[in-house]
Amino acid sequence: MNRRAVITGLALLAVPCLAQDPRQIMEEVQRRQRSDSQHYEGTLEVIGGGNRIATKRWMYDRLGSFGASKAILRFVAPPEVKGVGLLIVNHADKASDQWMWRPNIGREQRIAFQDRSTRFFGTDFSFEDLEERDVAQYDFKLLSDEGAAWKLESTPRKSSQYTHSYLWVKKDNYTVTRLELFTKKGLMRTIDYRDFELNKGVWTARTTEINDVTRNSRTILKFDKLEYNSPMKDADFTIDALRRGV
Amino acid sequence: MMLWSLISWPYARKHLLRWMLTMAGIVLGVGVFVGMHTANRSVLSAFQETIDRIAGSTQLQVTAGEPGFDEDILEKVQNVPEVRAAAPVIEATVATGSGNLLILGVDMLGDRSLRNYDLEDTDASIDDPLVFLAQADSLLVTKTFAEKSGLRVNSRVPMRTMQGDLTFTVRGIMKPGGLASAFGGDLAIMDIYAAQKFLGRGRKFDRIDVALADGVSLDEGIAKLRAAVGSGYEIAPPSSRGEQFEQTSRIYSLASNITSVFALFIGMFIIYNTFAIAVTQRRSEIGILRALGATRSQIRALFLGESAVAGLIGSTVGVLFGIVLARAMAGYIGGMLTEVYGVAQRAGDVALDPLLIGGALAMGIATSVVAAVIPSRAAAAVDPVKALQKGRDQAVSERENRLRQWTATLCAVASAVTLAFNRTPLVFYAGFVLSVVAAVLLTPALTLWLARLLRPLLQWARPVEGTLAADSLIQGPKRTSGTVAALMLSLALVISLSGLARSSYEAISDWTRIALNPDLFVTTAQSVSARTFVFPASLGDGLRKIQGVGEVQSVRSVRVNVKGSPVMLLALDIASMEQHAKLPSVQGDPHEMYRLTAKGEGLMASENYMRLHGAKFGEVLDIPAPSGRLHLPIVGVVRDFSDQQGTLIISRAAYVRTWNDDSVNVFRIYVAPGAQEAAVRQRIIDTFGKTQRLFVLTNGDVRRFIRRLTDQWFGLTYVQIAVAVLIAVLGVVNALTVSITDRRRELGVLQAVGALRQQVRHTVWMEAIAIGVIGLVLGLSLGVVTLYYAVGMARRDFMGTEIGYSYPFDTALVLVPVILFAAFLAAIAPGEAAVKGSLVEALEYE
Repeated sequence: MNRRAVITGLALLAVPCLAQDPRQIMEEVQRRQRSDSQHYEGTLEVIGGGNRIATKRWMYDRLGSFGASKAILRFVAPPEVKGVGLLIVNHADKASDQWMWRPNIGREQRIAFQDRSTRFFGTDFSFEDLEERDVAQYDFKLLSDEGAAWKLESTPRKSSQYTHSYLWVKKDNYTVTRLELFTKKGLMRTIDYRDFELNKGVWTARTTEINDVTRNSRTILKFDKLEYNSPMKDADFTIDALRRGV
Repeated sequence: MMLWSLISWPYARKHLLRWMLTMAGIVLGVGVFVGMHTANRSVLSAFQETIDRIAGSTQLQVTAGEPGFDEDILEKVQNVPEVRAAAPVIEATVATGSGNLLILGVDMLGDRSLRNYDLEDTDASIDDPLVFLAQADSLLVTKTFAEKSGLRVNSRVPMRTMQGDLTFTVRGIMKPGGLASAFGGDLAIMDIYAAQKFLGRGRKFDRIDVALADGVSLDEGIAKLRAAVGSGYEIAPPSSRGEQFEQTSRIYSLASNITSVFALFIGMFIIYNTFAIAVTQRRSEIGILRALGATRSQIRALFLGESAVAGLIGSTVGVLFGIVLARAMAGYIGGMLTEVYGVAQRAGDVALDPLLIGGALAMGIATSVVAAVIPSRAAAAVDPVKALQKGRDQAVSERENRLRQWTATLCAVASAVTLAFNRTPLVFYAGFVLSVVAAVLLTPALTLWLARLLRPLLQWARPVEGTLAADSLIQGPKRTSGTVAALMLSLALVISLSGLARSSYEAISDWTRIALNPDLFVTTAQSVSARTFVFPASLGDGLRKIQGVGEVQSVRSVRVNVKGSPVMLLALDIASMEQHAKLPSVQGDPHEMYRLTAKGEGLMASENYMRLHGAKFGEVLDIPAPSGRLHLPIVGVVRDFSDQQGTLIISRAAYVRTWNDDSVNVFRIYVAPGAQEAAVRQRIIDTFGKTQRLFVLTNGDVRRFIRRLTDQWFGLTYVQIAVAVLIAVLGVVNALTVSITDRRRELGVLQAVGALRQQVRHTVWMEAIAIGVIGLVLGLSLGVVTLYYAVGMARRDFMGTEIGYSYPFDTALVLVPVILFAAFLAAIAPGEAAVKGSLVEALEYE
């Protein structure tokens, strides 16, 4: 999964250090996260009621950044889900297009926009959380200066399951450390980013923990084999490529 | 009230057996009525309940008849701003080792917006949509089905799919209630794309379930959706599916209603008979009451009150009996409707309708009261002086006789006149009623006449007993005429239904010989009417390559809505049909109709479609289809029995083009000259049997299936026939019991002057057999007339197709010994009662 999609999820960054304008802060966050491509292998642990843990692994490739990126995510373990893939084509001005590939059925399936709020394959993410929306798709408000971090509020300009969210941006490296996502019914999810490391100039959280407040379950995502800006082809991010399992 | 305790109650106690027999008529009539209706209603309400439970929060459904539609429509629906959620559905019933299982193919990603899948929380992996979606063999089953079939999570369920025999894995178990209770709990959830693959749906959905955004009305939602998908789709609330099925099975409901009411009508004669006898027997009491000052209206009210109480008790027991009957019949009816209409039915609990029960009670009481009106009037008219003149009242007075005969003649003439104008339904049915009324009015006179005719015969058989039996009938025609009328009507009903069945069998047999003449039929199920699975068109090419296969016809049959009614659309190669299985033409040029239909410039309609839907030759039909609306004129009318609601036949090319559906229900195969049918059949099974769900039926198999279907259709009718005969036999018992009581003194005198008990017994037996003979003569004769009307009713209102008049002589021949034996059985108990009583008491009687 695209860490930035999760990290920024909705938000992101930019602003010179001294600036206090929330949009500039988020534009700077986005600028610092920008890369031509990204690859990683991730481990998902879904911890449900009774502390039962379901573990899955996937491989993730992204070409481009934010509003113009394309990404393919493919599950590699456990065996019963191996080969299931998801193609995400992000757009600058609208919600992403998403297709799922199911090798056992031998066909792809478009994920309808109305289904984006549903849980992503039993994790605590939703399909919408996988999108990389450009910072231009949100309005921001600076809520408070908490010393080492700013607390901001973002409100989506386009259709979204979330009404608004709160995010915390570290002042020293412009990374988002926590997101609180709200729906009409109140707080829905929280996302915490931990274990940051600098990789090819991009600060990346190696551990992401998402809590579904309504279900009282959480999902922990850990990144391995993280690579930025490795060569990738546009042709590998198509429905045909999804089918081929490239 | 005083009259009740002084007169009615003691009489009822004294003649308890007779009252019970009288009430048995009402019990059976009401019981059959309630049973049939409740069983029908149970099946329909189970169907409706399944629809409701499956619907979840669905407000509207987008459908395009049975063929379904391409899946790209889903996106159009989802993009309508007024739509909150839209989820595709495939619904199919498959046979498993544990009975029929309703498979609901859904998109688990979005479907939870509409339906709640409440799972047993036993394993974290159960609720993992990724595993469910990633594994095509995933199934969610209900706890009910799991317990019934001994299944647990990860258990394997074998199923015969379009990909051959496969094993599915139970990934989760749904808790009982809500969705999990649909189809009696025999429900499984499958991923919709897996369902497409395994059920042979290609890239089609059966329907899209829609929930509207907050504040959007149904009308607004329908308008917006129609604008988005086009006019070829039907957009309606889920409840309309139940209405459509009800409409499809309308003919069955109508048929069962008519026979139920007829059963009650027959029961009415038993009640009439009982009260007529009661009035006769209690003449002296009535005379005394009248002499003591009781008014005529008090006497009338007394008898009507008695009949109302008898009706209430009989109806109450009848309702209870009907409920028991419904429980037994619901499963049978569900199975029959599944076979006939190809829509899986499952009757769960018996659905009681308070209105029906109230109506049945009222009907039973009203029948009883109506039947007692004439006897109560007779009671009120009793002359206190004449009341003491024993025997006189049993005879039919000349004046009464003349009046009846004149009225009967008028009715008969009027009925005959209606024959000339019976194109109007009202005139036709009036003619039927008049003919029955004429027969009923003539019954006493005919009974008397036949009894006189029988006298020499009975005398010849047994000089003493025969004479006594015949004289008993001649002297008391009132006592037996009601029973004879009931027996006559029952037998006429038997003849009508049997003749109708015989004519139908003959017509259907002719049709199967012409229309279903291929050597082999490759189907997706053993039931030819099942349309759950479909073949890909490519299988036809494979079949053509099999050694020994001469010609292959691809047939697609789907139910579509035409002018608001569900109709069967049959799409096939018209040229091949004309060459091999040319249906008898009813209207239109026999060659031109095939030519125009083959070119896609018209369609052929079945005769029953024309009659039942009031269509006209040349009329342009507007048939909704996913690609728009198909407008085709009726260029020919043919005789076809494929569907009870009627069939429209179009060319396969036009169907494929309009519905974008090249799937096939049945491949009809003509074996090449010289090839062995059995060998070709085996080759098909060997070649495709392992990779494809497929059944190869021989022509004989298909004919047997249709025969079985017809048998099932008439099966319940036969039950009703049995009930009608039983009611009539009860009438015989009743009449004989009364006869014995009435002639107790006479029989006592006989024994006193030396008659043997055996002779008394024989007298009673012979009287019973004489009643049976009279009933048979009248019933079998009236059957000639009622069969004419039954055939007419079938032609115009039930089948809609021309069927011949064929009197069931074989049934008539069977009825003779059956009725005579039944009459004899009915006479045994009264015969014993006649000889076992005290001689002194008998001589003291009256």
